[in-house]
Amino acid sequence: MHIKGRAWTFGRNVNTDLIFPKMWFRPTYEPGEMASHLMVGIDEDFPKKVGRGDIIVGGQNFGCGSSREEAAAAMKEAGVAAVVAPSFGRLFTRNAINVGLPIVASPRIDEEINQGDQIEIDLANGVLRNLRSGYEARLPPMAPESLKLIEDGGIANYTRRVLEQRRRAQG
Amino acid sequence: MHAISKIIARHADRKGVEVGEIVNVVPDYVMLNDRGAARAADLLRKMGGDKVYRPEQVVVVFDHHYPPIRAQDSVSQKKTREWIKEQGITKFHAGEGIGHVIFPEKGYAFPGALIFGTDSHTVTNSALACVATGMGHSDIASYLALGYNWLKVPEVIRFDLHGAFKPGVYAKDIALRIAQLYGEDAAPYLGVEFAGPLVTSMPMSERLVLCNMVIDFGAKTGYIAPDEITARWVAQRAPDRKWTAETTDSDVDYGRIVDLDVTQIEPLVAVPHDLSTVRSAADLNEVRIDEAIFGTCTGGRIDDFRVAAAIMKGQKLAPHTRMMVNPGSRETYLQAMSEGLIEIMVEAGATIGVPGCGPCSGCHQGMLAPAENAITNASRNFKGRFGSPEANAYVASSATVAASAIAGRIVSPADRSKH
Repeated sequence: MHIKGRAWTFGRNVNTDLIFPKMWFRPTYEPGEMASHLMVGIDEDFPKKVGRGDIIVGGQNFGCGSSREEAAAAMKEAGVAAVVAPSFGRLFTRNAINVGLPIVASPRIDEEINQGDQIEIDLANGVLRNLRSGYEARLPPMAPESLKLIEDGGIANYTRRVLEQRRRAQG
Repeated sequence: MHAISKIIARHADRKGVEVGEIVNVVPDYVMLNDRGAARAADLLRKMGGDKVYRPEQVVVVFDHHYPPIRAQDSVSQKKTREWIKEQGITKFHAGEGIGHVIFPEKGYAFPGALIFGTDSHTVTNSALACVATGMGHSDIASYLALGYNWLKVPEVIRFDLHGAFKPGVYAKDIALRIAQLYGEDAAPYLGVEFAGPLVTSMPMSERLVLCNMVIDFGAKTGYIAPDEITARWVAQRAPDRKWTAETTDSDVDYGRIVDLDVTQIEPLVAVPHDLSTVRSAADLNEVRIDEAIFGTCTGGRIDDFRVAAAIMKGQKLAPHTRMMVNPGSRETYLQAMSEGLIEIMVEAGATIGVPGCGPCSGCHQGMLAPAENAITNASRNFKGRFGSPEANAYVASSATVAASAIAGRIVSPADRSKH
């Protein structure tokens, strides 16, 4: 999986309350609705600024706190190509994998990327490059099961496939 | 193997698992809260699933938005009630309290169990020697469709707690001390076990506070080895429950073991807007308190009411301070009433709300205005969690919250007893 995009940078311990404030919770969402509230706890104009293919770069413990899937799902919906940080909240990590959003942890990566930098990520070979500075990070290999879920487009597609197989098996 | 690995292995129908391995597991119970049930039902349909695979494992709890204050939540709860009936889900609790409080109370949590929930504080249950973890809505929808989901076997960090508490110090202060020493990512993706002589003598209510807080250190689950206190708790609440506890083989099964002497810990307060910026309550006397928020899955149990009422008995809230109290469960509410604790709090000037998440979920009464200060025995002081993003939330123990509500500013509960 090959990703290239423009970086948007955020700080440390950015919790999911800020990424997707609870005032925008809905029992069901219209297409595009989640994306229209992405990061508004930090920057109200962010949904207008962020473009398809962009990369979100956070500080340590990015996406900590509440289990809200909307945090990762809103990024996916907004067309964010990947999210990168030195470390992530566990639930955010899980949700990102499940919605098919590439998530990349690399130590001190937040110190190597500035707002607007062009970033290139090669998930299969585990390399991240900052095309502005030439900085290159080797990424720890992602669990093959997780990479597969991301490549499949998330857990919804996986579930659909298994349900199909079950139905076929039942004849 | 660590007991957590053994529990995961058993639920994966495997003899053993390696730390870091991803396995498919079948949990014992899965909690869906109001929002979780509505979202998961919607996502289940979108995934092409028409049936919940194991309805007998599903427990639905309305706690965040019950009773609803927005029409959209009423509509969604009506749909969920219909969906529950359609799917044959019979374990349903509306208005009975917070999922993480009623799960241990009703015997859904028990030693050796594996529990999923649509809420980060699902980890609370792990105080009963089980593995309990929060998940997203698609995650849970996939489980509902297939009857299993994936789990990565975590490395485990153990905190050995020993020493004696100073007056006015509780399990909550230990949790804040850990956040102060090791940060909000003290245990990313890890299992966190609490052990040592202090834990052995700790009542279940305090153990639940410790395990509740591990999510706010980044952990996947907590863990406390089962003992007589655990066995008695389960026997009283679910006498018919059969359970198999697991034991950890040796100290090599831990990624890290941290020794923590609690003797020097003071009553502590996490100041806005994160949990790892922690100060001594006694050093914050200048902080005016507009609202005390009491309850939640961290501090809404009967022992919290006992501690608070002992401090508030015969006292009045400071004239400029209001106090919002939401019992963690109906059982807690009834018990607190029968012991006269609710009366003490109401006479002091507190407002009692419904058993549920209260203002902590940002969905109920008691929201803060810009520039207001609140002190709470909840677990989080995130910006905007209790209303305005310009408000300030301070997180402390039930004792510190009660004492500060009376004083109208942050005080140490230890100092109060000297006055």
